[in-house]
Amino acid sequence: MGDMRTEYAKTLVEIGKENPRVVVLGADTTDSLKTSAFGKEFPNRFFNVGIAEGNLVSVSAGLAVSGKISFASTYAIFLPGRAVDQIRNGIAYPSPPGKKGLNVKLVVSHGGLSVGPDGGSHQQIEDIAIMRAIPNFRVFIPADTVTVSKLVKLMANEYGPFYMRMARSKTPIVHSDSQEFQVGQGITLRDGSDCTIAACGITVRMAQEAAETLQQEGISCRVLDLFSIKPIDENLLEKAARETGCIVTSEEHNIFGGLGSAVAETVSERYPVPIKRIGAQDMFGESARDNEIPLLLEKHGITSFNMVKQVKEIRSKKL
Amino acid sequence: MGLNYYHIKKNILRARKLVIKSTSIAGSGHPGGSFSMAEILGCLFYKNLKFDPKNPSWEDRDRLVLSKGHAAPGLFSNMAVAGYFPESEMETLREFGSKLQGHPDLKCPGVEFCGGSLGTGLSYSIGIALAAKIDKKDHHVYTIIGDGESDEGQIWEAAMTASKYKLDNLTAFLDRNFIQQDSYTEKVMPLDEELTGNDISEMWKDASRWKTGDKWRSFGWNVIEIDGHRIEQIDSAVSKAKDTKGVPTIIISRTVKGKSIEHMEDNPQWHGKAPDKDIVPLINLELDSQFMIAPSIIAGDMTNLANEVKRCVSGRADYIHLDVMDGHFVPTKTFDFNKIKELRSLTVIPFDSHLMISEPEKHIRDYAEAGSDIITVHTEVCDESSFGEIHDWLKQNQVGVGLAINPDTDLPEWSYKFLASLDQLIVMSVFPGKSGQKYIPETHEKMNKLNSILNEHKFTGYIEADGGVNLENIGSCFEDGARAFVGGSAIIGQPDIRETIRDFRNQTLRARRKLLIEKAHQLGESDLVNKWIGLHVVGEKKDQITKIAQEEGLL
Repeated sequence: MGDMRTEYAKTLVEIGKENPRVVVLGADTTDSLKTSAFGKEFPNRFFNVGIAEGNLVSVSAGLAVSGKISFASTYAIFLPGRAVDQIRNGIAYPSPPGKKGLNVKLVVSHGGLSVGPDGGSHQQIEDIAIMRAIPNFRVFIPADTVTVSKLVKLMANEYGPFYMRMARSKTPIVHSDSQEFQVGQGITLRDGSDCTIAACGITVRMAQEAAETLQQEGISCRVLDLFSIKPIDENLLEKAARETGCIVTSEEHNIFGGLGSAVAETVSERYPVPIKRIGAQDMFGESARDNEIPLLLEKHGITSFNMVKQVKEIRSKKL
Repeated sequence: MGLNYYHIKKNILRARKLVIKSTSIAGSGHPGGSFSMAEILGCLFYKNLKFDPKNPSWEDRDRLVLSKGHAAPGLFSNMAVAGYFPESEMETLREFGSKLQGHPDLKCPGVEFCGGSLGTGLSYSIGIALAAKIDKKDHHVYTIIGDGESDEGQIWEAAMTASKYKLDNLTAFLDRNFIQQDSYTEKVMPLDEELTGNDISEMWKDASRWKTGDKWRSFGWNVIEIDGHRIEQIDSAVSKAKDTKGVPTIIISRTVKGKSIEHMEDNPQWHGKAPDKDIVPLINLELDSQFMIAPSIIAGDMTNLANEVKRCVSGRADYIHLDVMDGHFVPTKTFDFNKIKELRSLTVIPFDSHLMISEPEKHIRDYAEAGSDIITVHTEVCDESSFGEIHDWLKQNQVGVGLAINPDTDLPEWSYKFLASLDQLIVMSVFPGKSGQKYIPETHEKMNKLNSILNEHKFTGYIEADGGVNLENIGSCFEDGARAFVGGSAIIGQPDIRETIRDFRNQTLRARRKLLIEKAHQLGESDLVNKWIGLHVVGEKKDQITKIAQEEGLL
């Protein structure tokens, strides 16, 4: 298991040493996000602007337009959920000659339902829909700490606006240290020919478990980690559609506008096959203590058990 | 060396005309808020801001962030005048494919901020200022926010942040024009206090009712409050801001929305509306007919000139006319540059030094260094070569340059080549030497002849009427083409100088309104006169102008 926030902060300090242009900003959640570690190392490149997320985003933009690489972080619910105007008009829209958007990386923790005890008010299940709709933004959801570390380095080196959503709870490691990550490229974690499960974030491990179960029942299930939600790996999806004939998507996000939508949009244009979207069924989350988070996810059907069920159902609808 | 007052004013006028032209062609845009900040932008662009239009991304440039982005035509116009792109490009404002978008955009090289959604520019400026601190750069960040914009909570988030990080490389201007889209700010969301009734003028005047400065002070900012249409106050505030260390500065600039055009002034309708094409020539004429009133202090108490200067300042004179007499060119002696230097320390109001001295070329430097904002010399004691020297030196040192002619002198032919770049022409309507003389009526005739010469040689400066100007003849002086008026005993000799200057203004305003009515009639007969008068919806202007039109038989 690994803690995404710790990994994020550790990587920031690492790249901060190599690259003096990296600056880190927070909004009173810097202890929670662990980015205060960067502040200890580089006090003059670390800014805590208080509980003021619009301010956080706009200050990050001003630093970025002056040549800095801004990493701005807080909880998911307070960034796209609160400061979409500042994100849209302050980071995505302003495009210096020859560039698209400003060089700001919005990295959030506490994405999705697995936030748990804080309740529905804090469980951001709309951020992917919001961020996907904004031109010039690229959107990542890492499945584990390996991904977090690699994507942070990638974002620091690649000009432009990014949104990366991390989970609050510790997550199992699904990738090897040698795994490569590129913008717009999905990862095939397991090959299969009867069906595909396209997953992101904490549901990637569930998808692997589901594929294991299905294997035992003689069903060959492919598993994709689509950490790059935007741009999405269209070729990989088309291939999966052609070769497996049906796709189940899973995410801890509303089924409207998230990974499921992105997959459906792509597949329906490139090679239409039956698709089933697992995720919040257009309803909000609620409090669940840490040991009860699986129950909360289960209520929304976000389990490997449900993936198995949906794979079986959708296979009968193959064209 | 100098403030470059006349140069700044000329460029502001050009920019204002471009705002009108571009928004009227575009059919939409925000002239009101562009005009309220016109002097702020003008002073920044032509005096304080460090930039290179040929290299817009020069690393060490000062940054100008227009947070109240709807006033984009004001920003673009000044960028055009400053040389970022040809002025003709202003005609593409808001057009498909133009870099001059409806709101400021990085698409236009030199624009620092994509404005539009209000309340974010100050935070963005903080980011720029923080980056400068990290990089140990000494460029300055200037940000213009609106008073309506101050409804946005993020302005106050930014206020706290700039203070926390001690951003003394950040200076904000609050364009306090008291008007936002729906109505007066103090009705929509009071910054000072809630307004009852529709008259903001009382609130504008009564400093004890202003609380906005207290708000910013309580947030830890250095607060400077100025009249945002006075170039010298803006310039001085910027200097003070840059000298203030350890805290950010906000310059609360009391302004008038739509400033310079009567029907736009203080009128919420002009927040976001473009002028009709048939009204544009009238607006341009009104812009060309702005005027200034300047008391001449030698008509006051010569034993206490410091006090006379103070009276002029509190009386809201536009500038102060200083008659320097040497006892040689004129029989009388008044004072020399030493006195001017002494008076300069009292105030930033522009000084108009009228040198009635022989061999002025020998003394120009002294008068410039003493703090004159414009220096006028007499044609009678100059020739092409000596004036050429004076002219070039003053221009190089950012001091305005003027020529004066006596009542019995014609403009010498050698002066024609200087007319296009001259800032002021004083047409004396009394013989220089002492105050209290009567206006020489032949001056009117002389002015007629002069005007054709001035037009021919593209004079764009101020004609200053000097000598015996009073409430009775100021209107006819205006009709003659004078746009600056020196008042001796008629102003400085009066007990209530503020009241007197107001009367002088009203009298001149009457003459200007008459001129505009005549122009409207000439262009579109009574239909256009009526349409133009109908635009004056604020206060009693409509009735007053209607009365003038009726008296002139043009309705």
